Amino acid sequence: MSFASPERAALSPRRAVYLIARREFATRIRGKVFIIGTIVAVALLALYAVLQLAVIDRINTTTTFKVGFSGSATALAQPLEAASPSLGFKVHVSDIATAAQGRSAVRAGSLDALVDGTPGAPQVVVKTGIDPALQAALVSLAKQNVLSADLSAAGLSPAAVESQIDAVSLRIDTLQPATAAQLQGPIIGFVMAFALYLFIGIYGGVIGQGVVAEKASRVVEILLSTVQPGQLLLGKVVGIGLVGLIQLGIIAVCGLLFIVPTGVLALPGAAIGAVAIGVMWFVLGFVLYALMLAATASLVSRVEEVSSATVPVSMLLVVTWLLAYVVAIPAIDAVSGGAVSPGLGTLTTVLSLIPPFTPVLMSIRMAAGEVPLWEGLLSIVLVLASIAGVTWLGARIYANSILRFGARIKLTDALRRSS
Amino acid sequence: MADRVLEIDRVSKRYGSVAALQELSFEVRAGELFGFVGPNGAGKTTTMRIVLGVLAADAGEVRWGGAPITFATRRRIGYMPEERGLYPSMGVTEQLVYLAELHGMRAPDARAAAARWLERLGLGDRGGEQLQKLSQGNQQRVQLAAALLFSPDVLVLDEPFSGLDPVAVDVMSAVLREQADAGISVLFSSHQLELVEQLCDRVGIIRAGRMLAAGSVEELRSGSAPRYWVDAPGAAAGWAGEVAGATAVRVEGSRTLVELQTTASDQVLLQAALATGPVREFRRDTPTLSELFRSVVTEEPAA
Repeated sequence: MSFASPERAALSPRRAVYLIARREFATRIRGKVFIIGTIVAVALLALYAVLQLAVIDRINTTTTFKVGFSGSATALAQPLEAASPSLGFKVHVSDIATAAQGRSAVRAGSLDALVDGTPGAPQVVVKTGIDPALQAALVSLAKQNVLSADLSAAGLSPAAVESQIDAVSLRIDTLQPATAAQLQGPIIGFVMAFALYLFIGIYGGVIGQGVVAEKASRVVEILLSTVQPGQLLLGKVVGIGLVGLIQLGIIAVCGLLFIVPTGVLALPGAAIGAVAIGVMWFVLGFVLYALMLAATASLVSRVEEVSSATVPVSMLLVVTWLLAYVVAIPAIDAVSGGAVSPGLGTLTTVLSLIPPFTPVLMSIRMAAGEVPLWEGLLSIVLVLASIAGVTWLGARIYANSILRFGARIKLTDALRRSS
Repeated sequence: MADRVLEIDRVSKRYGSVAALQELSFEVRAGELFGFVGPNGAGKTTTMRIVLGVLAADAGEVRWGGAPITFATRRRIGYMPEERGLYPSMGVTEQLVYLAELHGMRAPDARAAAARWLERLGLGDRGGEQLQKLSQGNQQRVQLAAALLFSPDVLVLDEPFSGLDPVAVDVMSAVLREQADAGISVLFSSHQLELVEQLCDRVGIIRAGRMLAAGSVEELRSGSAPRYWVDAPGAAAGWAGEVAGATAVRVEGSRTLVELQTTASDQVLLQAALATGPVREFRRDTPTLSELFRSVVTEEPAA
C-alpha cells in the first residue's frame, strides 16, 4: 500500500526554529522543573507572607503588666498607668495590703511585679526577671519623684520646670532625604538578581541536559537530516527560555500579590519597575548562558557527564552571584546614607559592564537607581555583542560535536573541525 | 522517473589515519531496492550518514536526479539511523507528527499520515503511549514510520532488520518492497544476506571503504567462475584435474565440485566424467549471496 504524496511546503528556517521551540515548550511546561518548581516557589512566597503578617500582628499586640503597689510606693501607681500608653505597654495596677501578700502573688504568677518601698526609692519584686520597658518606666518615675522633691525643696515649681523641659526639641535638617523607593530598590534588586541567578542556572541546566539527551538517544541524527544545527540550538534556547520566563513571571506576580498586602513593600511601583528590568536581564542573561551551556554540553555523549562538562560555565555563574554581594552592599549603603568608597564604586561599575556578569549585577544596580543612562545602554550593547559572539562560537562547537558520539570531545577539536 | 537516481560518486572519507571510504561509487535507481552488505566497519553507516548530510565527505559527490544533493533535497530522504533514535518519553503519535512537520508537512497531513502508518505497521492502538513503553521491535516499527510518513523520494535505512522477530521482518520486507514498487529508491544495509538476496533488486558488496561488486545477484553470480557438482562414482581421484581449465574445489564422497575457467566448456567436463563410468549428477552450482559475499570479501586483497 502506498500513500499519495501530500503537498509539502518548503520548511523555512523560521518555521524549523518555531517547531523545535514549540516542542521544547510543550514538553518542559509539563515537566517536573516547571510544575513542582512553580508550586514550591509560590508556596514559599505564601508562607513568607503569612509569617510576615503574623510578625506584624505580634508587634501590634501590646503586652499588659499586672503590677501591685504596697506602702507609700502606691503613689507611683497613677503616674505609671498614665505614662504606659506612650511606653508601648499597658499596666493593670492594684493596691496590695502587705508586701508579704504581694510577694506570694508574684510567686503564684497573679502579679508580674510588686512595687514596695518609697516613691523615690522603690523596691521591685519579680519572679524571674523584669521586662526592660517596665523597668525603664519605673526608674524614670522614681527619678522624677526625687527631682520634684528636690525642686520643691529649692523653692521651684516642679510643674513649671517640667513644661519647660517638654518644650525642648531637636531640629533635624535632612540633606538627602531617603525615600522608601530608594531604600527598597537595592533590596528588590538583590532579590531579583538572586532569582536571575537561580533561573539562569536551572533553565541553563535544562538546556544542557536536553542537548545531551538528544545526543544520547541519537534522535539528533534524524533531526539534523532535516534541520541545521544552529536552528536546533536556537529552537531549544527559545522554547526552554520561554518556559523559564513564564515561571519567573508567575512567581514574580504571586510574590507581588502576596507581599504588597503585608505592607513590607512601601512602594509596589518600584517593585514592578524592578521586575521589568529583571525580565529584560533574564532574557539577555539566559540566552548568553544557555548558548554557552549548550555548546559545552554537546561535547559529551552521556547525560551523567553534563555537569562536569559544563563546569567552566556554571562556575562563571557562581562567581557572578558572589560578585553580586560586592555590588549590592555598596548600592544599599549608598542610598541608606553611607559613603561609597571611590575604589569600590569604580570596581562595581567595571564588574557590572563585563558581559557574563552584567545581567545579574546590572539588575541590582538598575533597581538601586544609580546607573547613568549611558552605562545602562553600554551594558546592553556589550551583552548583545557577546551573545552574537557566543552564538557564532557556540553553534560551531555544537555543530561539530553533536554527531560525534563516544568519548568527551576536546574543546579545541570541536572548534577546529569544520565538517 | 528515469532521472530519479541517487548517485554516490567517488566519495571518500577519512577518520584521522583511517580511510573509511575510498572513492566509493554506486547508484540506486528509482523503484529499486538496493541492499548494502559488507563486514562490520566496511563503511556502510559512514556512506549513509554522508548521503543524509549528517556527515560531510572529504571528496566526491552525492547526487539526486543528476544534481548535487542539497539541504532541501535531503528533506525528501527518509532515514533510519543505525542507532535508533527517537524521544523516549514523548508520545508515539506526538513525535511522529513532530518529525513529519520538520520534514515540511502541515500538521493535519502529518497527523493523518502518522495514524495511517501506525495502523499499517500494527501499532494502531499504541499512538498515545510513550515510546519507551513499547518493546524494542515495536520501537523499531515506530522508527520505520518516522522514516516513511512524510512520503520520501528516497529511503536510507541502516540495518532495518536487526533485532526484529520473523513476523516483523515480514512486515518490514513487505513495506520496503511496496515502497520500491511505488517508485522510491530504497537503500538499506543488512547482515542478513538471505533476506537481502530474496528482497533486493541489486546488491552492493563493500569492504574497507571500497565497492567490491555491485549488481543484481544474478549479475554477481555471472561474474564468478561457474561451478558444477559432478557425481561420478567410477572416477579415479583427481580425474577432474585432467580436464583442460577445470579445478576440483571440493570432494564429498563420490561427488566433486569442479570450477571451470570461463574459457573451458562444461560439455568437455561432462564427457570426461562420462568417460570414467556412470554419472549420477551433473548440476550447475548457483552460489548464494552468502557464498558470493565470502568469496568476494576474502579473495580481494585488503587495501
